[in-house]
Amino acid sequence: MSWVAKTRMNATPASGARDKPGPAAVAAPSANARVSNGLKEFLWLIGDSQQGRILDLGPVWQATVTFFIERGFRVSTEDLLRAWKEFLVSEEEDFRKAPVGNEAAKVSPAMFAEKFLDNALLYPAEHFHGVLAWDIFDYLDAQLLPRVMDRVYSMLRPGGAVLSLFHSRTPERFCRYRIADTQTFELLPASTLSVHARVFQNREILDIFGKFRSSKTFVGRDQVREGLFLK
Amino acid sequence: MWNKSAEAKPSPQASVAAVPVIPEPEVTPLQTRPPSAPAAAPTPAAYTVPKADAANSLTTISAGLKINGEISGNSDLYIDGETQGKIRLANARVTVGPNGRVQADIEAREIIIEGSVQGNLKAGERVQLGAQSKVQGSVLTPRFAIEDGARLRGKVEMIRAGSQGSASAESATDSSKAKVMSASSKDE
Repeated sequence: MSWVAKTRMNATPASGARDKPGPAAVAAPSANARVSNGLKEFLWLIGDSQQGRILDLGPVWQATVTFFIERGFRVSTEDLLRAWKEFLVSEEEDFRKAPVGNEAAKVSPAMFAEKFLDNALLYPAEHFHGVLAWDIFDYLDAQLLPRVMDRVYSMLRPGGAVLSLFHSRTPERFCRYRIADTQTFELLPASTLSVHARVFQNREILDIFGKFRSSKTFVGRDQVREGLFLK
Repeated sequence: MWNKSAEAKPSPQASVAAVPVIPEPEVTPLQTRPPSAPAAAPTPAAYTVPKADAANSLTTISAGLKINGEISGNSDLYIDGETQGKIRLANARVTVGPNGRVQADIEAREIIIEGSVQGNLKAGERVQLGAQSKVQGSVLTPRFAIEDGARLRGKVEMIRAGSQGSASAESATDSSKAKVMSASSKDE
């Protein structure tokens, strides 16, 4: 594994190189907007691909779909956290209906994760140029996380990028995300689909994305870390 | 890939702090809507059957009705029951009502989903997903409108109005590949 940009992990973007303010400084974000250097870099990385494919692991939003469609991308969406929640509800229902002492009803968390992924994230290998993971890794079950990561890695093309957010403390509200423009995304508070599982240390983030070729992290004033990982 | 020229690279800036207090997300205005449909998120009780286009008559599959097979023709179709098979109404509008449960590929001039669809959608003019809609499959259309709250698991691809596109074939390929991948992951 070569960490081309590993040295920049947990470092704010280099300053001083450009005195001229970038476009993001000019744009006036709305109240729920967040200027994102990670998003900007993500778009720059996938910008070369013709007819590129993007996977959004959050809910479908008109704004996000339109944003990528207008740039010639094909967009796939799969709301992984919602699917996981629905899966757990369904499994719980089955468990309740199962007769007492039924051995078949007893499954480990690892088996849960495997079973869930039998019907989720089913895409061909090396299919996507970019994956918008938002902050879902903070919410995934410990058994599910490495399996999802393997699947994400598999479906990414070489050179493809993953944009992911990591909270530095337990977030006050559960939010979903959608793209506002090339350097801004919006946080949309939503009913909680999943409890915040953990706060990752930087080293843990590197370990999770261990298969990836390189990584960069941008830290915002709100201490949310934006990770960009390149296959 | 990280070594692109510095000029082409986006300039990093200090991030702006996120604001945690956020108003409710606005509902994206849709370009068109059936004249009689309500502006707010429809509920099964509130949603009203759209009127047929002037040129087409309207056929309704009511709630409680199940149809299995292929539906084709030129009449507008409103589905509030259950349908399995294939729906092909190239010059008409297909509306899946809030109670509608469709397991079929839908090909029509205009597709409006308020209920649940498992299948690929291919529209000559536009596809609209309502706030309560749930779609699992590819969407191929020149115009696409999504209300906040809609749920889509699948691919969106835009085509020119009237063009045939390749999504059906591709999505079929994708799904077969996905099955292969799924099988191989099970083997592991």
